[in-house]
Amino acid sequence: MSAVPAAGAGAASAALARRIRAAAAFAAFTALALGGFVWSVSIGPEHIGFWTIVQGTFVQGHSTGQLIVHIIRLPRALLAVLCGGAFAVAGAVMQSVTRNPLGAPEILGVTWGAAVVAAIATTIVPSLAGVNAVWLSFAGGGAAALLVYGIARYGRGGMSPARLALAGYTITLVLWGLVQGILIAFTQDSDKFFFWLVGGVTTAEWRQVHAAYPWLVGGFLLALLLARPLNVLALGDDVARGLGQNIGRTRFLALVCVVLLTGAAVGVAGPIAFVGLIVPHIVRKFVGNNHLVALPLSMIVGAALVLYADIVARHLDSHVEMPCGVVVAPIGSALFIYLARREKVVA
Amino acid sequence: MSATPVAAAAAPAVPRLGRPGLVVIGLFTLCLLAAFGTMGLGAVRVPQPHAIEALFGHGTPDQVRTIRDYELPRILIAFLVGIGLGVSGGVIQGLTRNALAAPDTIGVVKGAALGAVILLLAYPRAALSYLPLAAFVGGIAAMAVVYLVAFRHGGTTPVRLVLVGVAVSAFCESVIRYVMLHEAKGIGQALVWLSGSLASIDMQSVYQILPWIGVLTPLLALFVYKLDVMGLGDDMAAGLGVPVEWTRRITLVIAVLLASACVSVAGSIIFVSLISPQIARRLVGSRHGLLLPAAGAIGSLILLVSDAIGRGADAPIELPAGMVAAIIGAPYFVYLLMRKL
Repeated sequence: MSAVPAAGAGAASAALARRIRAAAAFAAFTALALGGFVWSVSIGPEHIGFWTIVQGTFVQGHSTGQLIVHIIRLPRALLAVLCGGAFAVAGAVMQSVTRNPLGAPEILGVTWGAAVVAAIATTIVPSLAGVNAVWLSFAGGGAAALLVYGIARYGRGGMSPARLALAGYTITLVLWGLVQGILIAFTQDSDKFFFWLVGGVTTAEWRQVHAAYPWLVGGFLLALLLARPLNVLALGDDVARGLGQNIGRTRFLALVCVVLLTGAAVGVAGPIAFVGLIVPHIVRKFVGNNHLVALPLSMIVGAALVLYADIVARHLDSHVEMPCGVVVAPIGSALFIYLARREKVVA
Repeated sequence: MSATPVAAAAAPAVPRLGRPGLVVIGLFTLCLLAAFGTMGLGAVRVPQPHAIEALFGHGTPDQVRTIRDYELPRILIAFLVGIGLGVSGGVIQGLTRNALAAPDTIGVVKGAALGAVILLLAYPRAALSYLPLAAFVGGIAAMAVVYLVAFRHGGTTPVRLVLVGVAVSAFCESVIRYVMLHEAKGIGQALVWLSGSLASIDMQSVYQILPWIGVLTPLLALFVYKLDVMGLGDDMAAGLGVPVEWTRRITLVIAVLLASACVSVAGSIIFVSLISPQIARRLVGSRHGLLLPAAGAIGSLILLVSDAIGRGADAPIELPAGMVAAIIGAPYFVYLLMRKL
């Protein structure tokens, strides 16, 4: 009789410990992201003091420092936050729905689908340029996602993580081939466009922030609404169905969420590869699999990752500003190698 | 497949030209037909009977120059690179007993491309003749990394090898992008080369790659029977007197050298080395003496056709042959994934 309350107390204290851990992770990563934000705004050719940064951030002042902060540096930092968060949350949702540690949007071809359509729109069919670039990204990303998922799902023996990753890799190669063809055929803009393809926020303006944020906010909200259904879905299809969930609808909404987030982010910042692969793995280490906690934390960690990657990228080279994709990709591929070595993925 | 092992053993010392042998000859005939048939399809079009005449010096000076200086080198390169990639893929698939293994899936192609890009962009004044060497260093380094990383619990599995290969390729790709952005002036040129374009090929490139293909491919012919025996399993092969480890190492190095030499002149052409041996195995069976020539012929055929499409489809704009080959090859790879994995 005495064992039961003790076990109950143990469970309660374990839950409490989990909460404290989650709260600590939130606090630490939020502080990290805020620090990165201020740091990102403070660096540049013109030295700007801390108070000017704060003033320039919240009010549109008239001094040179405030104007520089407001017009040049603020959109860059904001775009890094928004796109980092978007790629990270999309990755978390996708890894959860595919039950696959490799199921990130860049591996499943979503980012490249969006990039190809954007490439076609800006080069071959300039008449499409009038259409909002974000819509085109949605179309391309959605199509690529469906294609890859279909290949992996309807093969002999059903879906496996390795098959999903390889199908995504194949489609990515084909799309990358198409992009290269376009780049070569329209060489006059090729270096500018190549810059965009690596993914980064170097050319950020307010215009891009305004174009992307409604979609991104919509995507974030949808992801949060999906947190509970995703928790149930993680128990397995049968259990989820038994608990009265409409599995098909959850999966479809998750796909919509991923395409919204990825498409909008690619449309303004280019395909910053591997953020969606890396961040959910970091987050899971800290707070486990509960999506109610993991999704918001993914957003913060993603924002911090891209902010710091952008800061590092600015210091890599004295005469060119590198896009931050150059910094994230090696980290991401190292993690990919680590995951590929694990038996769970291969089996 | 009428030739059972027993029949093969009972055959006389001088091998009879069976059906598979005829298939190989037929494939090379197709290559020749494709080579002559696609001549004159480029930006300056030379209609067909005149193209072949111009090759032998009959016709207007313009036609002769177009064919001899622009079309001939490309066709030769497509032919040679196709052979190199097909044979290399065949050897690697046989050694790893893995249908998905090929220079492109185990990281050799991207590694070689990285080596070459570093040489091209970071040391632009280095002589172009070092390009195959740089590509080879990159290719062999990438392959070594893939093998070491994928090696676990005393061996590797096919899927782990390919996944690690994909990851290492992604890493090389990201470093390539960094180097390209760093040396932004050469981006356009490097991109054309990277995507496997044969557009800027001249006779110089043909002379550059000819010795590699010409020496390494016959060298592999010395190993075909050892490779066949190794297909029975390492223990069996060792029992039959084949030095297993030594054969594996030397043939692997030859295969990587072949692939790297191809990448160094033609850029990263993907899927060709993966698909050609697969198709060849369906056509002639898995004896390396027939499989490797057939794989080479099919590789050539794919590249000849891809380059012809690239030249002719949207002239005067050149689509890179590597891109066309990837778009042709990807559906087959997808089919493999759906059936075999």
